[in-house]
Amino acid sequence: MSTKHNKIDTSFEQCMKCTVCTVYCPVVAVNPDYPGPKQAGPDGERYRLKNPLFYDEALDMCLNCKRCEVSCPSNVKIGDIIQSARLKYGKKKPSLRDFILANTDLMGSVATTMAPVVNFTLGLKPVKLVMDGVLGVDHHRTFPKYTGQKFETWFRRYALKKQEGYEKKVSYFHGCYANYNNPELAKDFVKIMNAIGYGVNLLEKEKCCGVALISNGFKEQAAKQAALNLSSIRKAVGRGEEVLTTSSTCTFTMRDEYEHILGIDNADVRDHISLATRFIYKLVDSGKVKLAFRKDYVKRIAYHTPCHMEKLGWSIYSTSLLRLIPGVDFRMLESQCCGIAGTYGFKKEHYRDSQKIGEGLFQQIRDCNVDMVATDCETCKWQIEMSAGVRVENPISIIADALDVEETIKLNK
Amino acid sequence: MKFDTIIIGGGLSGLTAGIELSRKGQKCLIVSSGQSALHFFSGSFELCALDDDPLKAIRSLDKEHPYSKIGLDNVRSLSAGVKPFFKEVGVLLNGDQERNHLRLTPLGAQKRAWLTLDEYVTLPSDGQMPWKKVAVFNVDGFMDFHTSYIAAALEAKGVQTVVKGISMPELEKLRHNPTEMRSTNIAKTLTGDKINTLAARINEYASDVDAVFLPAVVGLNGCSDVVRLKEKVDRPLHFIATLPPSVPGIRLQMMLKKHFQKLGGTYMLGDSVTGGVLENGRLRCISTQNHADTEFEADNFIIATGSFFSKGLVSDIDGVSEPVLGLDVISLEERPQWYRKNMFEAQPYMYFGLSTDASFHPVKDGTAVENLYAVGSVLGACNPLKEGSGAGIAILSALHVSSLILNESPVILNDSSVILNESPVILSDSPVILNDSPVILNDSSVILNEVKDL
Amino acid sequence: MQKEYDVIVIGGGITGAGTARDCAMRGLKTLLVERHDLTAGATGRNHGLLHSGARYAVTDQESARECIQENMTLRKIARHCVEETDGLFITLPEDDLAFQETFIDSCLRAGIRAEAIDPAEAIRLEPSVNKSLIGAVRVPDGAVDPFRMTVANVYDARLHGADVLKYHEVTAIVKEAGRVVGVEVYDAENRQKKTYRSRIVINAAGIWGHHIAQLAGATVNMFPAKGALLIFGHRVNNMVINRCRKPADADILVPGDTICLIGTTSSRVPYDEVDDMKVTPEEVDILLREGAKLAPELAQTRILRAYAGVRPLVAADNDPSGRSISRGIVCLDHETRDGIPGFITITGGKLMTYRLMAEWATDLACKKLGVDKKCQTAEICLPGSEQPASKRKSVTVDGLGAKAAHGRHGTRSSNIEINDKSDESLVCECEGVSVAEINYAIDELGASNILNLRRRTRLGMGTCQGELCACRAAGLLSKANGCARRSIEDLASFMNERWKGVYPVAWGDTLAEAQFTSWIYEGVCGLDTFEKKEE
Repeated sequence: MSTKHNKIDTSFEQCMKCTVCTVYCPVVAVNPDYPGPKQAGPDGERYRLKNPLFYDEALDMCLNCKRCEVSCPSNVKIGDIIQSARLKYGKKKPSLRDFILANTDLMGSVATTMAPVVNFTLGLKPVKLVMDGVLGVDHHRTFPKYTGQKFETWFRRYALKKQEGYEKKVSYFHGCYANYNNPELAKDFVKIMNAIGYGVNLLEKEKCCGVALISNGFKEQAAKQAALNLSSIRKAVGRGEEVLTTSSTCTFTMRDEYEHILGIDNADVRDHISLATRFIYKLVDSGKVKLAFRKDYVKRIAYHTPCHMEKLGWSIYSTSLLRLIPGVDFRMLESQCCGIAGTYGFKKEHYRDSQKIGEGLFQQIRDCNVDMVATDCETCKWQIEMSAGVRVENPISIIADALDVEETIKLNK
Repeated sequence: MKFDTIIIGGGLSGLTAGIELSRKGQKCLIVSSGQSALHFFSGSFELCALDDDPLKAIRSLDKEHPYSKIGLDNVRSLSAGVKPFFKEVGVLLNGDQERNHLRLTPLGAQKRAWLTLDEYVTLPSDGQMPWKKVAVFNVDGFMDFHTSYIAAALEAKGVQTVVKGISMPELEKLRHNPTEMRSTNIAKTLTGDKINTLAARINEYASDVDAVFLPAVVGLNGCSDVVRLKEKVDRPLHFIATLPPSVPGIRLQMMLKKHFQKLGGTYMLGDSVTGGVLENGRLRCISTQNHADTEFEADNFIIATGSFFSKGLVSDIDGVSEPVLGLDVISLEERPQWYRKNMFEAQPYMYFGLSTDASFHPVKDGTAVENLYAVGSVLGACNPLKEGSGAGIAILSALHVSSLILNESPVILNDSSVILNESPVILSDSPVILNDSPVILNDSSVILNEVKDL
Repeated sequence: MQKEYDVIVIGGGITGAGTARDCAMRGLKTLLVERHDLTAGATGRNHGLLHSGARYAVTDQESARECIQENMTLRKIARHCVEETDGLFITLPEDDLAFQETFIDSCLRAGIRAEAIDPAEAIRLEPSVNKSLIGAVRVPDGAVDPFRMTVANVYDARLHGADVLKYHEVTAIVKEAGRVVGVEVYDAENRQKKTYRSRIVINAAGIWGHHIAQLAGATVNMFPAKGALLIFGHRVNNMVINRCRKPADADILVPGDTICLIGTTSSRVPYDEVDDMKVTPEEVDILLREGAKLAPELAQTRILRAYAGVRPLVAADNDPSGRSISRGIVCLDHETRDGIPGFITITGGKLMTYRLMAEWATDLACKKLGVDKKCQTAEICLPGSEQPASKRKSVTVDGLGAKAAHGRHGTRSSNIEINDKSDESLVCECEGVSVAEINYAIDELGASNILNLRRRTRLGMGTCQGELCACRAAGLLSKANGCARRSIEDLASFMNERWKGVYPVAWGDTLAEAQFTSWIYEGVCGLDTFEKKEE
C-alpha cells in the first residue's frame, strides 16, 4: 500500500468555467453564503496553491454530495478538491460533537451494550436540549435507535455455522448502521444470499468505513481505519470472494474516497467492493440466478437515489431489482439530495439548510402517495422518515420481504 | 445489460434520438458524462443561417455535410416535424423551416434563427421592430445581461426604450456571495409567489409600453413560472438570452431527460463510456467507468458525444482523436492549420469531427461500423458556428438516424454497404472532405494547398 | 496656451514610467507619452522574474551586481509587486556539475547569496522540481509583476504632478535651431495631431526607441531579440527554477500570482516585425520540452497562452554590426554624441534595473536643466508598498475578491470603494476581480478599455481567458463611458487579442475552452457582427 499525500489533484485545470456545477449544488440553492462548487473547488484551488491564506472556512458548508462532479461536463473532481482542501487547509478544530458524530462505530459499540438506556436517554427532551445547546446537535434530530444485539453477535451465534454449507461465498462489509442500529437489514442480506446459493463471510476485522471521520476532519484516524478495512478486504478478495455492502455510502467511501481523499491506493481491490443489489442483479441479468417472489406482496414503492449512489451511478441495479417484484408499483423519484449528508444535518448550524435542501424531495414523496420509499443509504432513510413521514427501507430488506424463499432456493439449486 | 439502442451522450442530439426511439417502443439507454452544451443555449435553434431561406442555403452545402447526407427532402420533412416533437416534450417554439426569423442576442445583435422558444423576443427577417416603445428590465447587480446593449439596439431602430433595474429583498440575499448573482440562482429565487411580486414591479414601470423585455432568468424547473409571469405582466413580455448558464437551456435539458425517462428510457448521468467490443464490424457492447465489468449490450449504438467542449473530440499537441471508441476523425495533420489568426474567421478546427459513411456510420480504421451511428456536433465536415446549423444538425441527424434504425431492413443495409465499398475516400480520415466547403474556401489558402497535394 | 514641460518621456513601459516618476519626484514638470497602453510592449511580455543576478554572474559581473542591488531595492520599494520566492539553479544529469562551483564563486563575487543545497533538500523545498537533479544552488530570485510595478510608477508620477497621455503616438520630434523642443503626437482617440513642448525629451521607448531616435535625427543601433514564453494554468512551482549552466533557451520557470511561466527562446527578428510578434510551433515545442526538464509536471499542465516580447539590445557605438551587444544599461546624451541638444535616449537594461535606468536618465536631464536634486526612488516606496517591511501584515481581509485585490494593489487596496454588496460581486472569477476593483481601475488607474483593465487587475488572465468576465467588464465600461457600441467593439477586439495568445497552444483543454468561448461570444452573443474591421 502506498500513500500519495503530496500529490495535487490537477483535474481543476480541466474546468471550462461553465458554472454547470453551481446549478446542481444543493447548498448554493438554499444558502448564498456558500461560495458554490466552482468557486470553492477549481477557482479557489488556484489561489490556495498560491497562498493557503486564500482558504475560505465557508467550504465547511459543502455536503460532499458530489452532485457537482456528476454534472460536470469536464470531469473535474470538484467534490474531491473541496474535501481535500478542507482537510489540508481548514483551521477549525473538530469539536467534541464532531468527535461523537464521526466515531460511529465507537459510539455504536458503547451504545449497543446499553441500548435501552441510550435509546431512552437520547430521546429525552432535556437530553436533546443539552445536546443542542452544549454539543450543537440539532434538537430536531432523533438519533437512530441502537439495537440490543449487534449483528456480528447474532451472526456468530446463529448464522455462521450454516454458511459453511455453501460452495460459493461472498464477504459482507456490514458497516456501523447494520451492525448497531439495524441488524435486520444485515439478516435480510444473509437470507437473500443464502437463498440464491451463496454463503456469507464477515471480514476478518471491520471498522467504520470512515466517511464521517473524513467529513469531520479526522483524516489520520480515517486513514488508519481505511488501512485496516483494506487489509481485511484484500484477504477476502484473495479467497476469491467479492466484498458486498448494503450501504451506498460505505461502498462509495471505500471505492473512491480512500484513494481520492485519503490518498490510499486501493486499485487492486476497488472493483471487488460492490453493493449487494448490484451483485445480485448482475447474477439475475446474466441468468445465473433466479428470484421468485411472493404473490401476496403488493406495494407502491418509490426509489430515492442517495447522492453517493448517484455518484456511483448504480441506482439502476437497485431499481431493476425492485422492478422485478411483480407486486410492486414502482415510482422513480427525481434524483435530489435529501439534505442530511451523513452527519451534516445533525449539526445545529446546518439543520435549517439541511431541511431546506431536502424540501423538494420531501414534496415529491408526499405527492406520489407511496407505501414505502426505498433507498440504499441509512442517513437518507432517517432524514426522509423524519421529514416526509414515510417508511423507508433498504432495497435488500424489501427484496427479502417479498422473496419466496423456498421457491428461490429451489430455482437456484 | 441489454438494450435495443444505447446512446452515448445525453445532450440535445442524444436525447432527441432517445426520445424518438423510445416513442417507437425501443428500450434505450443514454450514458452521459455530465451536463451538455444546452447549458449555453441561446433560446433558439438554428437550421442554417447562411441565408434567409435555410433550405436554400442547405442546398449549396458540400456533399459531405451532414445535411447533404440526410438529404434535402429528408431535411425538409424532418424539420417540419420538430415543432410538434418539442410540443410533446412540453416546449413551445415559434418559427418555421421555410424562412428564418431573427433573434436578439444579449449584445443586441440580430441573428438568424429557425425555431425560438415561445417566450423569447423574435423579429421578422427584415429586422423591423414592431414596437414604438419598449421597457427593458434587469435584476440589479446581474452582470450577465446588460440593458444598455439592448437599449442601443432598439434605439438604433427608432424604438423608444426605457431601462429599469429590479430589486427585491429575496434577490438581495443572493448578493451575500460575490459569485451568486447568476442566471440560475436568480431563477431559483424568482419562483412561486415571487413571480407575483416581480410582475407587480414590472407593471409599475411598464404601463405605457408596447412590450416588456427581461433577461431569461425565470423558469429553471419548468414552464409554469414563465407562464404565470406572462399572465401577470400587463404588457406582452419577451425574454432575451443571458450569458451562460442558460436558464431555458437547463430547463430544456431537464424536460427532454424527464420525457425520455417517462417513455421508459434509462439515463445514466455522470458516467462515461470507457470502451466497446467490436465483433465482425459490429459493436457488441460498451463498458463504462462506473460499471466497470458490466457489459451494456444493444442492437444499435449512437454516438452523440459532442465536440471538443463536451469531450466528444479530444486533441493533444499531436492531433485530434475520438476518445470513446477510437473512431476515425476528419482533421488536419499540421497543428498550425487548425486555426486562423482572427478569432472571428472560420476556424478550421470547427470542421473537425467524425468521419461517417452516407448513413452516418462512423468509421474505425477505415471500415464503417454497421450498427453504430454518429449524430450531433461530434460529426465533422461542417462548421455549425459559421453556418448557424448546430441545433439543426443535432436534431435532424438524431431523427434521421432514429428512422434508419427503426426502418432497418436487409435491403437498406445492403445499399449502404455498397456505398461503403464504392467510396473509400469518404471513409479515410482525409481533408478532401473540406475541399468543397464554400465557407472555408473563402480564405483558407493553407487548406487549399493541402488539398492540391493530395 | 500649451503647457511647457521640463521633460517629455516617450514610452509607457517600465523604463518610461520609472523615468517619469523620478523626474516628477525631482520637481520637473513632466509629461509621459505612450502610443498604446502602459506596459503594452516588452514590459508586459517578459518573465516577471526578480533576477538575483545569478544568471549573469558568470558572464557579466557588472549586470549581476546591478541586478542584486536593484533586487534588494525592489523588495523594499515595490513590495506589493514582488514575491520573495527565492530560486533554485538546478544541475541535471546531462549538465556539467563542475559548472556549479564556477557559478557559486561568480555569484558570491557579485554579492549574490548563493548556497549549494542537497538535491533532496531542493525537492523538499520545491516538490515540483525534476527529481533527477544532481545539484542545486539556492539564490535570492523572486517574482515581480511588471504590470503592477509600471502602474504604480505612473500613479506616483501623477501624484507628483506629471501628466500622462496614453494612445498618443509620437509622430515627430520637434526641433528648433537644431535643438529638440518637444514632440508631435497623434491622438488616436480624437484622431488629431497635437504638439507638446519641453526642454528635454527622453526616449524610453524600448525597441521602438530605434525609430524615435531616427525621428530626432540620431541613429541608435538596436537589435530586436524576440523571446517567447508560455503561461501555464496554475502555479506548478513556488520557487523560481533555473538551469545551472550557461544561459540557454527555456531554462527559467517563474511562479507569478496564480500561474507560472516558462521562457524564453531567443532569436533575432527584423525590426519591421516588432509590432507583430508570433510564437511559432517550433518555439512552443522547445519551451515545452525544456520546461518539462525543470518541472516534469509541466508536460501535463494546461497552457493558457503563448506570447513573445522584444528585448532592445543595443550595439556598442563603434560596432554597427551588432556583434558586441550589451545587455547593460545604455544612456545616450545625444547632445554630446550627435549634436542634438535636448534629446536623451535611455535603453538596454532589464526590467530589474528600470529604476537605475530611470535614475541615470533623470540625472542627465537634471544636469542639463541645472536642477540639483538627489534621486530618491531607491528609498521612497511606490504607492501600495508604503508600509515598512517588518510590519507587513498577513492578509486579514475577507473574500476572494478583497484578498486578491490586496495582493494586486497593496496598501492602496483600501482605496477600493465598497459601497454595497454588489460592489463585491466578482467580475472575473478565475482571478477574483470584483466590481469595485474594476471601478477603481477605471477611476483611479486610468483604464479606459478591457485591455487596460486586464493589465491593471488580472481580469481575463486566468484559466478561461475572458470567457465571461470580459463581457461583464464591457458592461461596466459601457456604464462608465456611456457608449454601448464602443464597449462591445472593445469586447470584440479584446477577445481577439486573447485568442492570438491562445491559438499557438490551443490543444487539449485549451482548445475545448476556446471552442466554448467562441460559442458563447459568436454563437450566443453575435459578437462577430461588432468586429471593427479596420483594426
